[in-house]
Amino acid sequence: MTTRRTRLVATLLALGVAVLAATVGAPATADDAPPARAAYATIEGTGSTWSELIVKQWISDVDANGIKVVYTGGGSSKGRKDFSQNTTDFAISEIPYQGTDETGQADTSNGREYAYLPLVAGGTAFTYQLKVGNTMVKNLRLSGETLAKIFTNQVTNWNDPAITADNNGRSFPDKKIVPVVRSDGSGTTAQFTTWLDKAYPSIWRPYFGRSGLTSYYPKKGETMIAQSGSDQVMNTVSGSAGDGTIGYVEYSYPLDKGYPVVKVLNKGGYYVEPTQYNTAVALTRARINTNRSDPTKYLTQILDDVYTNPDPRAYPISSYSYMIIPTGSDDPRMTTAKRQSLADFLFYSLCSGQTKAGPFGYSPLPVNLVSAGFDQIAQLKKADPAVDLANRDVKSCNNPTFDKSNPSRNYLATIAPQPAACDKQGAGPCGTDTGTNQPSTDGGGGGTADPTTAPVAGGTGSTPGGVTGGGTPAAGGPPGSGAVPGAAGPPGSGAVPGTPVAGTADEAVYANSTTIDDRPLDSRTFGWVSVFLLVALVLLPGLVSARVRRRGGA
Amino acid sequence: MSRRLRLRPSLRDGLGLTAALAVVAIGLVTPPSGTAAGPVAARNASGDGFSATRTISRVFVGADGTESTVASYDVTVKADQTTNLRGRQRIRISWSGAQPSGGRAANPYGEKGLTQEYPVVVMQCRGRDDASLPAAQQLRPETCWTASVAQRSQVLRSEGESTWRRDLYADEARRAAVSGAESVDPAACPPLDVASYSSALTPFVTRAGQTFSACNATTMPPEAAVDAAFPPAEIAAFTDENGNGSVNYEVRSDVENESLGCNDKVACSIVVIPIVGLSCAQPASPPTLDDKACRKQGQFAPGSSNAIGAGIDLAVGPALWWSESNWRNRFTIPITFGLPPDTCDVLDSRAPTGFYGSELLAQAGLQWSPAYCLNKKRFKFQLNQTSDIAGFNLMENGTGPAAVVSSEQESTSTDPVGYAPTAVTGFAIGYEIDRPDNAGEYTRLRLNARLIAKLLSQSYLGSDLGRQHPGIGDNPLAMMNDPEFQQLNPGLSEITQEAGAALLSLSNDSDVIEQLTEYLAQDKDASAFLAGTPDPWGMKVNPAYEDIELPRPSWPLLDTFIPETENTCRQKNPSVYFSQLAAPVTTLRKISEALLDAWPNVQTKCDFDPNTLLFKIGRVDRQSYGARFVLGVVSLGDAARYGLKTAALQTHKGTFVAPTDDSMGRAIALSEQRKPRLPFVLDQADVAEDGKAYPGTMVVYTAAKLRGLDQDTADKVAQFVRVSTTEGQVRGSGNGQLPAGFLPIRKTGPTGKLFDAAQLVADAIEAQKPAPTTPDQTDAPTGGGDDAGTGTATGGGDLTPPVSDVPPAPVPTSPATTTPPVLAIADPAPTSATTVQESGTAGRLLPLLLLAALVGVVVQVGSRFFVRPPRRLS
Repeated sequence: MTTRRTRLVATLLALGVAVLAATVGAPATADDAPPARAAYATIEGTGSTWSELIVKQWISDVDANGIKVVYTGGGSSKGRKDFSQNTTDFAISEIPYQGTDETGQADTSNGREYAYLPLVAGGTAFTYQLKVGNTMVKNLRLSGETLAKIFTNQVTNWNDPAITADNNGRSFPDKKIVPVVRSDGSGTTAQFTTWLDKAYPSIWRPYFGRSGLTSYYPKKGETMIAQSGSDQVMNTVSGSAGDGTIGYVEYSYPLDKGYPVVKVLNKGGYYVEPTQYNTAVALTRARINTNRSDPTKYLTQILDDVYTNPDPRAYPISSYSYMIIPTGSDDPRMTTAKRQSLADFLFYSLCSGQTKAGPFGYSPLPVNLVSAGFDQIAQLKKADPAVDLANRDVKSCNNPTFDKSNPSRNYLATIAPQPAACDKQGAGPCGTDTGTNQPSTDGGGGGTADPTTAPVAGGTGSTPGGVTGGGTPAAGGPPGSGAVPGAAGPPGSGAVPGTPVAGTADEAVYANSTTIDDRPLDSRTFGWVSVFLLVALVLLPGLVSARVRRRGGA
Repeated sequence: MSRRLRLRPSLRDGLGLTAALAVVAIGLVTPPSGTAAGPVAARNASGDGFSATRTISRVFVGADGTESTVASYDVTVKADQTTNLRGRQRIRISWSGAQPSGGRAANPYGEKGLTQEYPVVVMQCRGRDDASLPAAQQLRPETCWTASVAQRSQVLRSEGESTWRRDLYADEARRAAVSGAESVDPAACPPLDVASYSSALTPFVTRAGQTFSACNATTMPPEAAVDAAFPPAEIAAFTDENGNGSVNYEVRSDVENESLGCNDKVACSIVVIPIVGLSCAQPASPPTLDDKACRKQGQFAPGSSNAIGAGIDLAVGPALWWSESNWRNRFTIPITFGLPPDTCDVLDSRAPTGFYGSELLAQAGLQWSPAYCLNKKRFKFQLNQTSDIAGFNLMENGTGPAAVVSSEQESTSTDPVGYAPTAVTGFAIGYEIDRPDNAGEYTRLRLNARLIAKLLSQSYLGSDLGRQHPGIGDNPLAMMNDPEFQQLNPGLSEITQEAGAALLSLSNDSDVIEQLTEYLAQDKDASAFLAGTPDPWGMKVNPAYEDIELPRPSWPLLDTFIPETENTCRQKNPSVYFSQLAAPVTTLRKISEALLDAWPNVQTKCDFDPNTLLFKIGRVDRQSYGARFVLGVVSLGDAARYGLKTAALQTHKGTFVAPTDDSMGRAIALSEQRKPRLPFVLDQADVAEDGKAYPGTMVVYTAAKLRGLDQDTADKVAQFVRVSTTEGQVRGSGNGQLPAGFLPIRKTGPTGKLFDAAQLVADAIEAQKPAPTTPDQTDAPTGGGDDAGTGTATGGGDLTPPVSDVPPAPVPTSPATTTPPVLAIADPAPTSATTVQESGTAGRLLPLLLLAALVGVVVQVGSRFFVRPPRRLS
């Protein structure tokens, strides 16, 4: 009787487990359904080297999403040309199609329908090699006018009084200035000459012989050196023969090389470096063409007010880089899969991708431009309704630098630290090194931490961060350089709102664990097999032992 | 009987225990949802590869109607890998017994390869060559991909150029003046019915069934373009004078070429057509121009070059591959594509976690990141490529949670940093060098430290411009002229190229340069050379680099010599000539691309641009196939990914070591860790002494702060280290697996110490010592982490150590492959599409099962104590 009862208990128990197993097993097999995969096809493009470093990083990021992008640089001029000849799926260029370029050749899309959208912001930096004795100068300051004169062969020696004045009386040795310019068709050159033309027409136009920008720098004289590509400009400046050289490249290049850049005088009276903050502040004054009726101009930048931005933090030669995307519904190169790749590559780049702009030497786009960019992406869907843009909007952007509550505000610009007092015209110069991606500031707050990972709480920090020391023991430096008290902040300093970072709140997790063609049969079969085995396993020992016992008992 | 009785209690206990164990085992072995066992199992190493031989001939029919065979070859075609391919994978296709080629093109790919004679056309086509299949699944010229019109259509050719019409084997339709135009859109194409002109179109039919007329550039599929950023794969390859040749053919899946449309479901083939020339039908009387042209046998001698793209005899060129005479000679290599790997969802709203640092990890990072984003329990991993020191600084200032570096970095913070070994890889001197007379690629380059020192120190002169350089005017112009190089690598061309004076390298800081210069520093000959001692042939170091301090993290451009010349362009652009030769770049990837394209980064081209009226300096042209000589510092990961050849480096006199599993393992065995949690150090003197260890072996570490990280970030980093050193070390091309170019870290063997060190550091990162809130959340790793062998508890073979980041139970996350890894670096394992994923069912089931087993045991035991005794008493 008792044995029977035990057996019964064991059987019931086994059944219970089996049922449990079945109920647990069933839903698990159900939710393993493969998620829908967006169909992607490889897209290819050419163009800007100004933005190439960050674009290449984005390309390697989206590889994980199955989006394959081929980008080979080559300069903005080449990018626009290749796009117009239908050999690429997109182009990246600092400037829009010019209609006719400065050499009288057509610079149009050749009838291909397109739209511009801003990709990333950055500052065109002036990197240099200047030695005093054997020590490299790393805190050179120049006004825009001096720079304009240097690149038009008017200021030709580092001991020029204009340079001495820029550096608050600190004079440099008698040494020839060797400007290094780009020899290939370059958007960096176009950005630089746009600034020269707008800000210093009386210096630039007589040198150039006409007005306007150019992608091919008009190299004149035997001193100036022209080099192909941003890498080569960096090599020329940083090489041993580079003492006395100064060249222009996007800030990411000197940053990568750990090379100093010029602090440029802004209208606010401060000499500043093109960190992500100072670029973002400057570009708050960028006028963006919002006339949708003219797609050849829509969203293009008018930087006149950037050059003259009175904010003491603004870096004057800041600009956006643009992508040119094909929008025609009968575009000969585009397919649904390619448009989807382009849309999602841009979705990533404009959203999460912006978070790493700062560490790479660029500056993230403000959220209003990202929104405008999304509207342009929407044209891909207009051209081809099969393109899936669902759930791809600014709200789903994973970008803590966006202020979603106030889209027109650039969060980065609001937390940008004020320049150090020693960076003020007529003060300093500061002894801190440039080209380190660290803002030169008196408030210790905004400096070191990156807003993308840890938003800086208020501009605290009473120590005059970074100003101490006078890094360059340069001969003839003014006494007390760097000994500027941190208290003497410029007006409006400390305007750092302690706003918490928006964006990481909604942590929706997408569970797409597999896209292997699932075989429900397998799951079901194995599920049942395991249930069966389980039942057997639990029952068998009991049965066997009961049997053994019975035999033993007998 | 009684004996059995006595045994009974223990038997019963044993049974209970066995049952419990069996339940656990079942739970482990059969995950209810089939994760890995399914489709990937199809891959079989034995059935891979292809080899076939056939006789191909050229036949002329004479005026009298008699056939004569003018040429006949027994050609064998082989392919090394044909199954489970991935898009852009390169497979080796080789042949022997073919007609030697002539008139080698500077670039044999796509349209540029058309001006060659007797080449071997290799192209990818949709479908199979199997008459038993439905017509839609058979390949035909219309399903074969070409990037340009000229490769598939002949439009409005005059008489004498329309040789295909005299093709002996052509059907009636192809002999007509216009053929292939049946489905052509007349609006899009030029009028083809023009008197005395002939046209033959080979339209392209996409997978979706759309037909592109292929009569001009606008009637080609969207992927087709000349001079696009994404270069064509199809090639008119060159056969050497012995009838041999080979190519690394890049296959394209539907991701790369949607119109062609090959994937795991749509079968495709590689078609190899050795061109022996058209067979010609009976000539008219008198013979027409076409009759004569059809019988032409080439203008270029075997082995000759045609770098300028001069005209060729069409009858023996590649453009008419579709003509029946050629098409019937095809070899069809069936290929299959693996399942595409899982990919991350672009809408995944988790913020990405970007580690900053070494490019050495780039290829592994690409394969690893989907294994993170696809797993709810992990995070969205990204590898942001910066220099080692920049990555380290970003880690220290809090921008990046961890850095990826290859040596101990100078710390600027007071927080301790732990270095967890994450991958074993390294650098190599990559190269593309052709043997003279179009005899094929050179594949066994040997270099010693002094040759590398000569290149880096800019001691070769480059060209006559360098001869004026003070102090070294008698040095060889380039490495190919250096007797030391010639002795090590005999039989190469001695024609000077500027690229032979340069080793393309990095312009910024890198641990790669640090280790490369360590290798130079330990070598007596190289150090002596750099210190000013001429080599035995009298070559001297460039004075600008004499006594340069080694090792060093970056290689500077020290020369200042600007040559004086009559050349107006150079007068207008006075530049440091040797710096223009060296022209270092910012990423290893760029160097790999330069090698892949055989496009040296030498910036000495100087010419006048009529548009801008400027004299401009820029990059030299791509090198011609057959005359390539380009060297660069590459990562082993890139070298394997792109199929770049890597040089064997001298360790001691007469011993040259190439990067292999064995030589890298030996280097790891030699490396020593001087303090716990710090990187291992590979002393190049030990490498030289050992002789068989590869000097370029490098360990990539995940470096993170051991104090001050928030717990969430610390957990992520610790998880990354644990996952990377376990499932991330399984070789394969699938998600989460270790790509070629890396030596797997195992629990045992030479890399065992790396594994132990990694677990130790992972524990320390997770613990974040002084952090107040560290209740032990996980039960797997032991707290303190002092000893080796902590970390993961469960056994398992060292090939696929279990994952340690899933707390509740050892849930099976078995990666798909259990085949022993292939040893050769340049031999990526076939695709496996599975990702690691946990089985929720098993996870939920297991505790229940254990409980059930426990209950079973209790019942058994209980029955013994509570049921039995009364009986015994009775």
